Amino acid sequence: MSRDGNADPGYARGRSHVWTPEIIRDIQAKADLGRYQIRGFSTFQRFPSLDDLVFLPGVMTRIPLEGYREHCETSTVIGGHDPAHVSDPLELAIPVYLTSMSFGALGANAKQALARGFSRAGSATCTGEGGMLPEEREASDRLIYQMTPSRYGLDLEHLRLADAIEIVIGQGAKPGTGGLLLGMKVSEKVAGMRTLPVGVDQRSAVRHPDFLGGDDLQVKIEELREATDYRVPIILKLAACRVLEDVKVAAKTGCDAIVVDGAEASTAAAPEFQLDHTGIPTLAAIPAARRALEELGLYGKITLIASGGIRNGVDAAKALALGADCVAIGTAALVALGCNAPRYVEDYEALGTAPGACHHCHTGRCPVGITTQDPELEARLDPEEGARRVHNFLTATVMEMTLIAKSCGKRNVHNLEPEDLRAVSLEASAFTGVPLAGVDWVVGPGLNERGV
Amino acid sequence: MSTAVRVEVDADGVERLNLELRRLAAEGAAEIVVKNPRSRHNLAVGQTAPVRILVDGSAGYYCGGLNAGAHIEVARNVGWGAGEAMAAGSLVVSGGAALGTGASMRGGALVVRGNCGPRAGVCMKGGTLIVEGSVGYAAGFMTHAGDLIVLGDAGEALGDSLWEGRIYVAGAIRSLGNDAVVVEPDDEDSARVHALLAEHAIDGRFAFKKVVAEQRLWYFTSRNAEAWLRI
Repeated sequence: MSRDGNADPGYARGRSHVWTPEIIRDIQAKADLGRYQIRGFSTFQRFPSLDDLVFLPGVMTRIPLEGYREHCETSTVIGGHDPAHVSDPLELAIPVYLTSMSFGALGANAKQALARGFSRAGSATCTGEGGMLPEEREASDRLIYQMTPSRYGLDLEHLRLADAIEIVIGQGAKPGTGGLLLGMKVSEKVAGMRTLPVGVDQRSAVRHPDFLGGDDLQVKIEELREATDYRVPIILKLAACRVLEDVKVAAKTGCDAIVVDGAEASTAAAPEFQLDHTGIPTLAAIPAARRALEELGLYGKITLIASGGIRNGVDAAKALALGADCVAIGTAALVALGCNAPRYVEDYEALGTAPGACHHCHTGRCPVGITTQDPELEARLDPEEGARRVHNFLTATVMEMTLIAKSCGKRNVHNLEPEDLRAVSLEASAFTGVPLAGVDWVVGPGLNERGV
Repeated sequence: MSTAVRVEVDADGVERLNLELRRLAAEGAAEIVVKNPRSRHNLAVGQTAPVRILVDGSAGYYCGGLNAGAHIEVARNVGWGAGEAMAAGSLVVSGGAALGTGASMRGGALVVRGNCGPRAGVCMKGGTLIVEGSVGYAAGFMTHAGDLIVLGDAGEALGDSLWEGRIYVAGAIRSLGNDAVVVEPDDEDSARVHALLAEHAIDGRFAFKKVVAEQRLWYFTSRNAEAWLRI
């Protein structure tokens, strides 16, 4: 074999699959820093994903609906199964809401833009862990108040102003660890809301301060209901790990809804190895969560919400077909706002990146003014223009969902089911119990054996 | 309405008992006695009126949780998370308290006449937590602000990962947590502690050790790699 790099480009680049250029750079960075690397955005791993599933629209054995004429219902209720304990379930016009992203991780303009955009679509936003920003409460028709282990800004009045309460047990981007907000983003206002010294590198607790397991959490949920007069649904957010077992324990707490947040979920800052090597993909998490609820007889009662790497209406429709009642999106909405847009290119370059590849949310130097607390950068995001773009994106997302559903003959997006899907990879079939395309056999236990 | 009202805890639980307490307070009750509390969870949570609530026995988890103005007294013991997220008012426990007492409280005063279990004052954001007895392990864990005053002893890992909270201990400290350091209290500290104790008629005429953050974990930069490696 020639050792001439020109004749063998692989040799010239270095051909080791162990010591790849990325691994070499990572080791050298750690040698410089004396710590692991931290970054934002999502995993860089290639997981089997929702792309490994395809829909089977009606042909001869199913009848599609007229995609451009007939109506397809999208309304969605979170926490509607127990009127005795939830007098005001969260009613959404569409099965897509904004996942938790804090004021701190995002700037105030981004929070406002997202709140307006989702409100115009008839949907909800979530405060994230930084407390309730008055501007977001005002701009959001339906606001989910998040309670994290660190309890930043936890306030009875804010709990009572919320349209739902989400208790975070874990997040898919970094299961088993608490929040991280580097000092560049801990501005005076952010620090004030979190009772932190200005400019510190905030690391958050991972365990809640006053409960440990499911039995305690059940009491905690009762406390929140007592404090908020049995009005709003209580949602538990779980990182997707031991989903079958975790969801069962979560369901036993008496919560109204469960979020399973897959490994593709994003964050504004996390140890890189957490992003890339913890949790299971959303594709695997949804069927496991559905099965857990079915085994308890609670599927269709406790609302199942899927999140983590949902990018468009097709992903959302696949999540619903697998068993979710609703999806939550984060990064997709930020991209709609302008994340990674080819503007202020020189500022991307100053971060050592480029539009389309930026993952530098952790630096607070967001070139397009979304994940920053710097007033000059934030001014680059006009909340009204951002709201318009987010609303447009949600409209397109729902159009995709309904068109897919109608092509499969469904008058309601919630009627999508695993039978509407086929897997195009062995992994996807094994993860989901959905038969392989063409051959119609399932890798591993099939739908019936799994109870799906 | 008379100034003192008796409320019996139902044998089936406390569901909507707190709504009843809020209703009575809104109607002008100055004092509400909760009889036969049966160690139920979630007694007197989410109260906003400056009403006096006397729990005539022991309470379970989250007694006085999310309190925003009531003055709550418990005749005997309380379970986990007493006074959690309290913003105003007070909670006085005549007996002992279990795990996470005063967790993430933001204001008001919480007094435990007996001992506390682990993680007293965890994630506190303000207010005062006074423990006349001793506290278990990891008291003051990640305490952001406020004063934790312990007249007895402190267990292991006191003040672990502190932010700007202040911890004062009169007795022995079994061990300090990560980034916690004992500093010499100054005259201002002594005056502050004695004044806080005096508000609750507690004699504070003895010496205290003061524990604060050494701030080596506050900044995640390479210069503190050694500190971060320890945890």
